[in-house]
Amino acid sequence: MTKPVNIREIALEILMEITEEEAFSHIVLRQVLEKYQYLEKRDRAFITRVVEGTLEHMIQMDYIIEQFSNVPVYNMKPLIRNLLRMSIYQMKYMDSVPDAAVCNEAVKLAQRKGFYNLKGFVNGVLRNCARRLNHVKYPDPKLEPLHYLSVKYSFPIWMLSKWVAQFGYEKTERICRDSHMERPTTVRCNLTRASKEEIIEELESQGITVKQHPYLDYALEISNYNYIKGIAAFRKGWIQVQDISSMLVAEVAAPNWGDTCFDVCAAPGGKSLHIADKLMGSGCVEARDVSETKVRMMQENIDRSNLINIRAVLKDATIPDAASVKKADIVLADVPCSGLGVIGKKQDIKYKMSEKQQQDIIKLQRKILSVVQEYVKPDGVLIFSTCTIGADENQYNIKWFLENYPFRLESLDPYLCDELKSRTTKGGYIQLLPGIHRSDGFFIARLRRIDGPEDGEFYFDEE
Amino acid sequence: MALRQIRIMGDEKLEKVCRPVTEMTARTKELIADMLDTMYDANGVGLAAPQVGILKRIVVIDVGDGPLVLVNPEILETSGEQTGQEGCLSLPGQAGIVTRPNYVKVKALNEEMEEIEIEGEELLARAICHECDHLDGIMYVRHVEGDLFDVNDDGMPEDEEADAEE
Repeated sequence: MTKPVNIREIALEILMEITEEEAFSHIVLRQVLEKYQYLEKRDRAFITRVVEGTLEHMIQMDYIIEQFSNVPVYNMKPLIRNLLRMSIYQMKYMDSVPDAAVCNEAVKLAQRKGFYNLKGFVNGVLRNCARRLNHVKYPDPKLEPLHYLSVKYSFPIWMLSKWVAQFGYEKTERICRDSHMERPTTVRCNLTRASKEEIIEELESQGITVKQHPYLDYALEISNYNYIKGIAAFRKGWIQVQDISSMLVAEVAAPNWGDTCFDVCAAPGGKSLHIADKLMGSGCVEARDVSETKVRMMQENIDRSNLINIRAVLKDATIPDAASVKKADIVLADVPCSGLGVIGKKQDIKYKMSEKQQQDIIKLQRKILSVVQEYVKPDGVLIFSTCTIGADENQYNIKWFLENYPFRLESLDPYLCDELKSRTTKGGYIQLLPGIHRSDGFFIARLRRIDGPEDGEFYFDEE
Repeated sequence: MALRQIRIMGDEKLEKVCRPVTEMTARTKELIADMLDTMYDANGVGLAAPQVGILKRIVVIDVGDGPLVLVNPEILETSGEQTGQEGCLSLPGQAGIVTRPNYVKVKALNEEMEEIEIEGEELLARAICHECDHLDGIMYVRHVEGDLFDVNDDGMPEDEEADAEE
């Protein structure tokens, strides 16, 4: 008889790939679920829940493990620490699994994976934990506020201390809390294909809950559906899944009839398509990116869209392209970033990022900016955006950019709803914060090329 | 260590009723050792002698608790039921849903021809039933509810190029 598929073993293997190697959670999970399509829906849901939940609460899991183990987590065998993490997650957050079953399965799994000698250790830690889980003492919010946030919401201390310095303690806690909340999917209505009323009617006929998003008229929040690909309105190309923050980029870019636009880090192409749509078939949008896979993927999306004024092009944003110089009315620089604004969707980002890595990313961002600013026509517009939060990759980059290149910030207020307007939007940028705004964490700045260098007004604070 | 070739469904040896073992010879001991090697090599949890072309009532099982050798096994008692996925080394790449008893008590001889009694639950119970069926020429496909489906038996999927990070 062949070895049967063990769903806990699958979950453990996925966790190993994500935490011990450099794999990204959403990619590994999707690949594995594709491979095990034949498993029952219940089993697939279990795997997803255990993997995502364990990642979401990993720092907290490690804290709890160390209450019951003399061996610190970083000294454990990787397989054992991940096994303990996912087991304690099930005890703490999944009522449907009895604690005794969690222990037994974990012990069997340790043994099957070749750690016969650690059976007793796994059993001891987990039995102790099952008995005393409700009595674990967590860090005191008054005495150790950062440690408290770190354990409660599973965020690394270095990240928290930066945020607390910039946004304050209370906002930081809201950002952390929000990353653990379930949020509806935001979609953009392709109004050239169907009216908003038709789209809403079509969605509701499939039993999907639809809500108007407060920031943009053509944005809807949908929930209560199984697969996005099973939605008729999606298959017909009436809706595009896109976070509201990303839609705001095209709003703020505000292209005029006939404009030429280079989106220099475009994949997967949502913002480019949105701008092409806004150009109503006029002008031209070049959606550029560095890898052939990304360009191919974008071309597929473009083909599905039926838009004629957009094309995908293979071009590395860090390498100057003489043919592009002073050609664009709008350059969109949605640069690679640490992604801290989308932790709610990709939980492993918060553990993978380090200060050192962030410094490397900032270098790359500045390199790209220095190259692509040349493509902006005199009096043209550069839109800078990231899906991260924190001044290092956002405000400080803008400050550096203004000091070195002939641009000034331009108010975002003409393009935003009243709810989003603030002193900084008037000054030319917005930092969207999850938990504060109804969106991912995101940053957008609008810069206009000016002939001579001139100091733009720059407000460095947060609303 | 010697690996033997695993017969694939359709091979007539898999459809025969096997003969009881009457004495433990060196040859039979070698067969048992080879069966264990072959099972571990194929990443299986159980193997019956007819699967390597020998029509003797011998099965080997290891569901993670160490090797178990059952000579002339006889199921004495079963109870409860479990429904789940089952696959066979003689039908690689496929699996099906089979309902088996959740508890099995089996009487057999060990490698020294001493009488033993084994009780098994869950996976062990399933494996005992599956392997004992082989000794009577029965493949699990006879018990499958619904259709067989394809499975891949390698480890994790291969890496693709990482998706575009927005």
